[in-house]
Amino acid sequence: MVPKSWAGFCERLMLNAASGAGYRFEETSSRSLVDWRIGFAATAIIGVLMPFVLPQYSLTVLIEALIFGLLAMSLDLLVGYCRLYSFGHAAAYGLGAYSAALILTQLQLPLPAGIALAVLVTVVAAVPIAWICTRSTGVSFAMLTLAFAQLGYAMLFRFRDITGGSDGIVGIPRPAGPFGMSWFQGKTGYYYLVLGCLLGAYLLCRAIVRSPFGAVLAGIRENEAKTIALGYNTRAYKTATVVLAYGFGGLAGALYAAFAGFASPELFFWLVSGRVLIMVVVGGAGTLIGPILGGVFFVFLEHELSQVTDLWPLIFGSIFMAFVLFAPEGIWRLLTIRFKAVPDVPTADPSKKKSDAAA
Amino acid sequence: MTFLGFIFAQGLSALSQAAILFFIASGLTLIFGIMRIVNFAHGAIFMLGAYVGFTAAALTGSFLLSLLLAPIVVGVVGMAFERIFLRPLYGRRDGGAYLLLTFGLAIVLNELIRVIWGPQPLAAGIPDLLRGVVIVLGQPFPLYRLFLIALGVAAAIGVWQFLERTRAGLLIRAVSQNAEMVHALGTDVDLVRTGVFGLGCAMAAVGGVLAAPLVTAFLGMGTTVVIDAFVIVIIGGMGSFLGSLIGSILVGFVQVLGAYYFQDLALAFMYFLMLIVLVIRPGGLLGKED
Repeated sequence: MVPKSWAGFCERLMLNAASGAGYRFEETSSRSLVDWRIGFAATAIIGVLMPFVLPQYSLTVLIEALIFGLLAMSLDLLVGYCRLYSFGHAAAYGLGAYSAALILTQLQLPLPAGIALAVLVTVVAAVPIAWICTRSTGVSFAMLTLAFAQLGYAMLFRFRDITGGSDGIVGIPRPAGPFGMSWFQGKTGYYYLVLGCLLGAYLLCRAIVRSPFGAVLAGIRENEAKTIALGYNTRAYKTATVVLAYGFGGLAGALYAAFAGFASPELFFWLVSGRVLIMVVVGGAGTLIGPILGGVFFVFLEHELSQVTDLWPLIFGSIFMAFVLFAPEGIWRLLTIRFKAVPDVPTADPSKKKSDAAA
Repeated sequence: MTFLGFIFAQGLSALSQAAILFFIASGLTLIFGIMRIVNFAHGAIFMLGAYVGFTAAALTGSFLLSLLLAPIVVGVVGMAFERIFLRPLYGRRDGGAYLLLTFGLAIVLNELIRVIWGPQPLAAGIPDLLRGVVIVLGQPFPLYRLFLIALGVAAAIGVWQFLERTRAGLLIRAVSQNAEMVHALGTDVDLVRTGVFGLGCAMAAVGGVLAAPLVTAFLGMGTTVVIDAFVIVIIGGMGSFLGSLIGSILVGFVQVLGAYYFQDLALAFMYFLMLIVLVIRPGGLLGKED
C-alpha cells in the first residue's frame, strides 16, 4: 500500500508532468475573458426570461431541449471525463422515465418527491450495471452498455403487466405537493422546474469534475495504468461515475415522463443512445456546457428540419461524421478558443498532435 | 415424430442461424484483428447487402447471381468508405473516433437505404430452386436452411484456407501481428487494410442476401444484427477468426432454442451468455486480455 503523502506527491508530480506535456486539464480552460459565474448568471437570467418571450409551442420544444441537454451532460461524465463510450445511455433515460411513471401512477406522491424517488431507483439499479460494465473498457464497455439498454427494452415487453408492453404507461399525473405546491403543474411552471434541475445538475457536475475525484477521473482518461500504479482503485472510481451518470440521466428521464405524460419503450431504444452520444460529441465532450448546447441545438434543429424535410436523420448523421473527422473537440471548444484571454496550451488534444505529425 | 428427429431438426435450425451470423461476425472480427477498428456500421452494411441483393435479384432474375453481385457492390462501397473516411484517422491515439465515425455511418446508411428503397419492408422470398423440404430423420426440414449450413461451412473453410495458405492471407496475418514491421519490409499496409475492410463488408453482404428471404429486408434489421454480431465477437474473442465461428454456433443455438422454449427471454439468454463469458474471461473465449 502506498502511503498517503507519497500518493499525493506522485499525483502532483503526474499532474505537473502531464500539463507540461501539453495535456489539457479543466483548470487551463477556465482562463477565459468572462468569469464563469457571470456566464452562468447570465444564462440563468435568460433562461428565466424565456417564457415571457417564446410562444407556447416553442416553450414545449425548449423543455424537451433542456431535458435532452441534461441527458447529454450526464453522458459527458462518462465520455468526456473517463473516455468510456456508452452506447446504452438510453437505459438511464428509460429507467428514470419508467420509474417515475410507475411511482406517479401507483403511489400518490407529490411530483418532486416522485421524481426524486425515481432518480433513487435509477441509481440503485445502476450499481450492478455499472459494476459489470466497468469490468471492461473501450469497445466491450460500449457493447455491454448497449446490451443492458437492449435488455431493458426487451424486458418491457416481457413484463407487460407492469410496463404496458408496446403501449407503455400513459396518463402520468403531476400530483401537487403539500402546502398548495402546484406551480409546476402548468407548462411555464414545469419549464422552471426543468431549468432549475438542469442548472443545479450543472453546478453539481462542475463541482464533481473539479474535485479531487474529478482529478482521478482525468488520470483515468489520460493514462489508466499510471493511475492504478499510483494506488487508485480506478474501477471503483469508474463505477461511481457510471452510477452518477445514470442518476443524472434518470433525472432527465423522470422529467420527460412527467412532462410528456407517458413513457414508451422507445425511450430505451438504441437510437436514443445514439442521438445523445452525437449531442455530446458535436457539442464537445469533456466540457459539460458543450453537450448541453449540443442537446438544445439538436432538439431545435430536429423540430425545424423535420417540418421541412424527412431527410433530417441523414443530415444529423452527416454533421456528426464531419465533427468526428474534422473537429473532434466539438462546438464549445471551437467557440471558446476564440475568446481566450490567454492563448490556450497549443494543440490541447494530444491525439490531434499525433495525427498532424502523421499527415 | 421421434424425439431424436426433433432434436436433430432443432440442431440443424440452430446451425443455419449460426451460418448467417457467422458471415457477419467473421467479417467484423477480421476487420478488428487487422485494423483495431470496431466497425459499428457492420449491421448497416449487412442491411445494404440485403437491399442490393434484392435489387440485383429483381434485375437479373437470379438469386445466385445476386449472391455474387451484392458482395462485390457492397465490398467496393466498404473499400471506398475505408479509403475516404477511416484512413485519415489512423494516426489518432483515441480508438473511440473509429467507433463514433462508423456509428455515424450506420445512421447515414440506414437513412440512405430508407430514401432509396423506401420505408416498407421488401419480401424477397425463397428462390424456387431452393424451395421445398427435405425429410431428415422423419422430420421435414426446409431445403433453404440446409443450403445456408452448406454455404456457412464452405465459407468457414474457404476463409480459413485463404488466411492459412495464400500469400494474401499471410500478409493479412502478418499485418494483424505487427503492421509496422510488414510496412518496413516493403508491403503497402494501407492496401491490405482497405482490402480486408472490403472483404469484411462483402461477407456481411453475403449474410444480408442470405438472410433476406428468411426475415424480409427491413429498416433496422442492421441494428439487431450488429448487436448479435458484437455479442458473438466478444464471446469468441475480438480478432479471433476461430472464436467468431465458435461464438456464432453458440449464439445460433441460444437464439433458436431460446426462441422455442422461452419466447420473450431469448434475447436475455444471449446477453446472459455474453456476461458469463466476460466475467470469466474478459477477453473472450479465444481472445487475449487487453
